[in-house]
Amino acid sequence: MIERFAEIIGENELDSIYKIAEKLKGMSVLHVNSTPAGGGVAEILSKLVPLMRELGINTDWKVIRGDTEFFKVTKSFHNSLQNGIGELPQGAFETYKKWQEINGNELDLDYDIIFIHDPQPAGLINFKRKGKWIWRCHIDISNPYEPVWNFLREYIQKYESVIVSSAVFARDDLKNPQYIIPPSIDPLSIKNRDIPDITVKRILYKFDLDPERPIITQISRFDRAKDPLGVIRAYKLVKKHSDVQLAYVGSPASDDPEGEEVYKETVQAAGNDKDIKLLVLPPNSDLEVNAFQRGATVVMQKSIKEGFGLTVSEALWKKKAVIGGNTGGIPLQIIHGINGYLVNTPEEAAHYALYLIRQKSIREKLGEAGREHVRRNFLITRELRDYLMVAALSLGS
Amino acid sequence: MRELLDKPANKPFEFYAAYYPPIYAGYKAFDIDGLVQGIRKVDGLSIFYHVFHPLFSSHVVPEDMGNDFATWIRDELGDRLLAQEVSDIEGKEPRTVENVREDLIKILSEAKVNRSANKPFYFITCKPVIYNTGKIAKNLAELVDMLASISVRSIAYHFIFKRVMGYEDKNDFSKWIEENYGLTDLSKRLSALDPQTYTDEEMLRQDLLKIFEQEVLAK
Repeated sequence: MIERFAEIIGENELDSIYKIAEKLKGMSVLHVNSTPAGGGVAEILSKLVPLMRELGINTDWKVIRGDTEFFKVTKSFHNSLQNGIGELPQGAFETYKKWQEINGNELDLDYDIIFIHDPQPAGLINFKRKGKWIWRCHIDISNPYEPVWNFLREYIQKYESVIVSSAVFARDDLKNPQYIIPPSIDPLSIKNRDIPDITVKRILYKFDLDPERPIITQISRFDRAKDPLGVIRAYKLVKKHSDVQLAYVGSPASDDPEGEEVYKETVQAAGNDKDIKLLVLPPNSDLEVNAFQRGATVVMQKSIKEGFGLTVSEALWKKKAVIGGNTGGIPLQIIHGINGYLVNTPEEAAHYALYLIRQKSIREKLGEAGREHVRRNFLITRELRDYLMVAALSLGS
Repeated sequence: MRELLDKPANKPFEFYAAYYPPIYAGYKAFDIDGLVQGIRKVDGLSIFYHVFHPLFSSHVVPEDMGNDFATWIRDELGDRLLAQEVSDIEGKEPRTVENVREDLIKILSEAKVNRSANKPFYFITCKPVIYNTGKIAKNLAELVDMLASISVRSIAYHFIFKRVMGYEDKNDFSKWIEENYGLTDLSKRLSALDPQTYTDEEMLRQDLLKIFEQEVLAK
């Protein structure tokens, strides 16, 4: 499978992965997270683990278990770490500890290298018997709710090292090395691979969009952090000048109680404009997402708070000029004026959207740069190599 | 000179390569004073990382700025002239990251910039992961062919990393050429190339090859 990437990243890049993997020959590696499917972490692990195995590294992936109460607690941890606001269920810390103990006693954790993903299984470090343990944090922990962070920090400090997605998320109160490894996309997946124009058009027609008229697309949940109302406002400002359409494409999130409320607010803001499509697609609508991104004239990711925002890389990979919120990991992906534009307000977003709608040659130029930026920085092969390097460095090899 | 191309070297040239996984260095700077303090505190690998980061084109930065410090000064502090000065610090052999650190501190300490940035400069350091590419040049001809095709990571490791970090006093290519063939002119011309002024790795490769072409192939 890994050979298939050679055409995209080149023989030298692929060769470097093989050579670095040799440093881990005979080693066992375990990834632990909290869900086997759904969400970015599971998506990455589903690609990363087979690739590591293909390189001859004994790699396993285990998922912790927990009851509804535990996941309610970890969801509240997640929110409080990202938003800095603490609304924890009663007895949250005790519930967390209880399930760490259950999982710690049930799971075989005897590996040379263990990557623990995100806060849910972070407490397993107390059950370490051997090997080097690395905590991989996929979320923004730069401005957390202190009581939750202090609780988790007690565990995190015991790790060999920590991985964060961007230097922006690095902590000054951790002594362990904090590696900076951004997430990645798989260019060969259904969501990202080339698809024929006819498929793109079929899907746009299916959702009542006209491929012949400009389309602004944002792929994201109905979440205030993604600023759906700001997107509507930006669209309406553009609409004054251009016969544009808006496709805001999201998926329902069962763990996001605000989703429905935000959706209703967005519907209200959209009014009766027939050119605004607020679409809620089932999870794993990968082909549709691919088509909406490819069919867009301009892709927007106007977040006001963002962990990383891999939908930006997905769109850049498809040679789209992207207008992104100047927050979180988006500035790593969008280099202002080179492959897209970073914006802070709906007015700015509208300005650049209109500019891009008018300037096809600029769109194309930015799109080319965007694809190259992703090719060099945000593909799964780069993330694979980064994990191998952190593992090798942890083992001192 | 061309007959030298196929003459076996006493010691073949073994190509290694390296990646430099970034690690947060534990400091942020919001203004010039903070930047100077950070530059004083961080290890040499951090200076190496920020100065040579833009060479590896995986790091897409505007190509007119030669290092991360310069880009930040221009984009966050809005001082284009100071950014240009910082971008153009000399990095030619035998200068090391410690010389660069001294120059940075001198230039920035004298700068009169009172602005604070919204986005801080995050100091990053790195731990090199070095690996043997398995490629070996047994003579000058093979060296040239490999320079033309090998990963630029390998060229950077031999031409820049070991020398600017002070592990060697001269780049590996110049040393090998002198020790095996006594080609001092070629060696000197390679040494005279300032890698710090490149923001495109393929251009560095092309310029190295051009020197070989002029000094060896054309004569």
